[in-house]
Amino acid sequence: MSSSFSGISGALSALHAARRGLDTAGQNIANANTEGYTRQRVNLQAVGGQTIPALFATDSGTSGGVTVRGIDRLRNDFLEARARAEHTQSANLDAKRQVYARIEDVFAEPSDTAVQSQLSEFWAGWDDVANKPGDGGARTQLIQRGSVVADGLRAAHEGLSSQWRTIRTQSDAYARDVNDSAAAVAQLNQTIMRAQAAGVPVNELADERDLHLLKLAELVGATATPRPDGTVDVLLDGSALVSGGRARAIEVAGAAALADETANPVQVRWVDTQAAVTPGGTISAMTETLGDILPTYAKGLDDVAAKLAALVNAQHSIGYAVDGGTGRAFFTGTTAATIGVAVTERQLAIASSAGTLDGSNADKLSELGRRTDGPDALYRQVVVGLGVAALATDRRAEIQAAVTANVDAARSAEAGVNLDEEMVGLLGHQRAFEAASRVLTTIDGMLDTLINRTGLVGR
Amino acid sequence: MAIQMRVTQQSVAARVMTGLQGNLNRLGDLQERLSSGTMISRPSDSPTGTVSAMQFRSEMRAATQYARNADDGLGWLNTAEGALGSMSTQLNRARDLALQGMSSGAGGSTEAREALAVEVDHIRESLIGLANTRYLDRPVFGGTTPGDVAYDPSGAYVGDAGQVNRTIGDGTKVRVDVTGPEAFGSGPEQLFTVLASLAQNLRRGDSASLGADLDNLDGGMSTIRSQLADVGARANRVTNMRQTAEDRLLTLKSQLSDVEGIDLPDTIMQIKLQEVAYQAALGASARVVQPSLIDFLR
Repeated sequence: MSSSFSGISGALSALHAARRGLDTAGQNIANANTEGYTRQRVNLQAVGGQTIPALFATDSGTSGGVTVRGIDRLRNDFLEARARAEHTQSANLDAKRQVYARIEDVFAEPSDTAVQSQLSEFWAGWDDVANKPGDGGARTQLIQRGSVVADGLRAAHEGLSSQWRTIRTQSDAYARDVNDSAAAVAQLNQTIMRAQAAGVPVNELADERDLHLLKLAELVGATATPRPDGTVDVLLDGSALVSGGRARAIEVAGAAALADETANPVQVRWVDTQAAVTPGGTISAMTETLGDILPTYAKGLDDVAAKLAALVNAQHSIGYAVDGGTGRAFFTGTTAATIGVAVTERQLAIASSAGTLDGSNADKLSELGRRTDGPDALYRQVVVGLGVAALATDRRAEIQAAVTANVDAARSAEAGVNLDEEMVGLLGHQRAFEAASRVLTTIDGMLDTLINRTGLVGR
Repeated sequence: MAIQMRVTQQSVAARVMTGLQGNLNRLGDLQERLSSGTMISRPSDSPTGTVSAMQFRSEMRAATQYARNADDGLGWLNTAEGALGSMSTQLNRARDLALQGMSSGAGGSTEAREALAVEVDHIRESLIGLANTRYLDRPVFGGTTPGDVAYDPSGAYVGDAGQVNRTIGDGTKVRVDVTGPEAFGSGPEQLFTVLASLAQNLRRGDSASLGADLDNLDGGMSTIRSQLADVGARANRVTNMRQTAEDRLLTLKSQLSDVEGIDLPDTIMQIKLQEVAYQAALGASARVVQPSLIDFLR
């Protein structure tokens, strides 16, 4: 037999449960637009009667009411892991896409003013000088055009160098970001472990930790492995970045300028062991940019400058200038960073023989621009290589963005708040509350009858 | 596409935003093309197109330069042609004078022969002046000499044997000068020597020598005429090549705009279509995002 009052406690538990349900729905609605928030659901359980038979106490088994077993966090760990992997790829390609866009800005082709046009003007300048060997104006103009080509190459090289420096600084900042996030994850791990031990809900903390994990995946391609005690281990290139409550730190070491890159390559390494790390995500794009992409195009410019200087100097040195001199080089320097014009207008080797106003050497120089192995062709190869690489990265980034968007959609479908659903939930909990109140009223009326109206016979 | 079990306001909003972003992006791209007038603003827009555009540009610059070279060459050739033409006319007069001197022979009066000789001297001076004709400060019959003249006042050649060439097409060079010795001969048959000897023999009344002078004069005149024909032919060739360079420039321009330029009607059509698509997307988004169960609960 159960107690006469057991129904009251059952109804009370129903009121409690409905209240928790309403609270949870309220929390979900309040955080409908919070980034990283995971919807929560009250996990209810019916309380049965005594199931172990005893000598005197028996139980009808239906009056226990309901209990809140917990508040579930509705998130799919597998989807999260996949999202982290896709975000790593996406961040990597996005960073590279930006780098290529900036390199394209440096080259600024095709246009009427960039290096290709400057070279064309330079070659045409030799023709003008060949037409009028005695004209100081034409010669001065040619010297100017030579300087413009040299300046153009130097400016392009400087553009790449300054990008290198910017990205080098950026990568340091990203490494600090990684370290901050790793420390935050370690801190949250500890808090969550303690809170779980104390039975305190940790859903919001777990949401925050997931945000950090996603950021770590994007920045450096770290992967996360949950552990039974509620903490998460974060692995980077096979080593632990975060293990329980302890976090390690990484740093970007190596050259501080493009020119030193070959001698002292930029690498990511652990601060404590100094061992190298192969990162993923944004930082991987940065190291690739610093170690491969920018040096490749800087070398392309150097090759163009070297070819230009070699061809022009070889032809120029066998000609004779109006001042009678010969054997002079037109350009100084053989790299894009150092190339410059070495002669003045009276030292231009225009003639093939001394003491004449012959323009045939200048004419030969003007033909260098049309050589299929000349600097123009080399420069065009560099630009087409850049275009192809940039286009390929663009396409890959677009495809990856679509994949990432799909996974994100799946995640937000799983974990996001649906307001309609919450409305229905609110309605259900509200009705449950009303009904539980009615149960209470009914029991109250019943007891009233029993207590106040029973045994009144003959009064 | 993953199968969606649930749809949430957030995922709808995210997808709507992605769609709208894509639409607006395409619209922005088209606007940029329309406002810049070019399809290719960076190498990745079309790597092969970029290289073609760069190549067309440098070829255009080369073609422009060929046309300029040809203009300069024509200047040289026309100057030489003018000078040779008027020299030829004056030589006819010298020939007349020689014939006069021969027909009167030693019998003519000293004054009459002196008058003939003086006129021949004048013609000779005038011819030396013409042989020093300059184009842009360069004597056109002086080869590649850095000096101001091709012949000194005594009629001796002071230029050199260098040739002046102009590049007027890919690998096409045309000679645009005539050196003095080529036009006026050298040695005892050099035109100015012949004229000097003519004047001397006129004064002397030496008919036999006058006959030899006349032969030499005829030879010189025929050389000048053949040089005139040669110069004319070269001028003609340069004119043709200039026309070719200009035609090539036009072709290259149209090729460049084929590669790089936008098809205006097509782009405007695309922009209109994209605008309609964008507006439709906005309208649809407004309808999808707005309603919620809240509107229908009391």
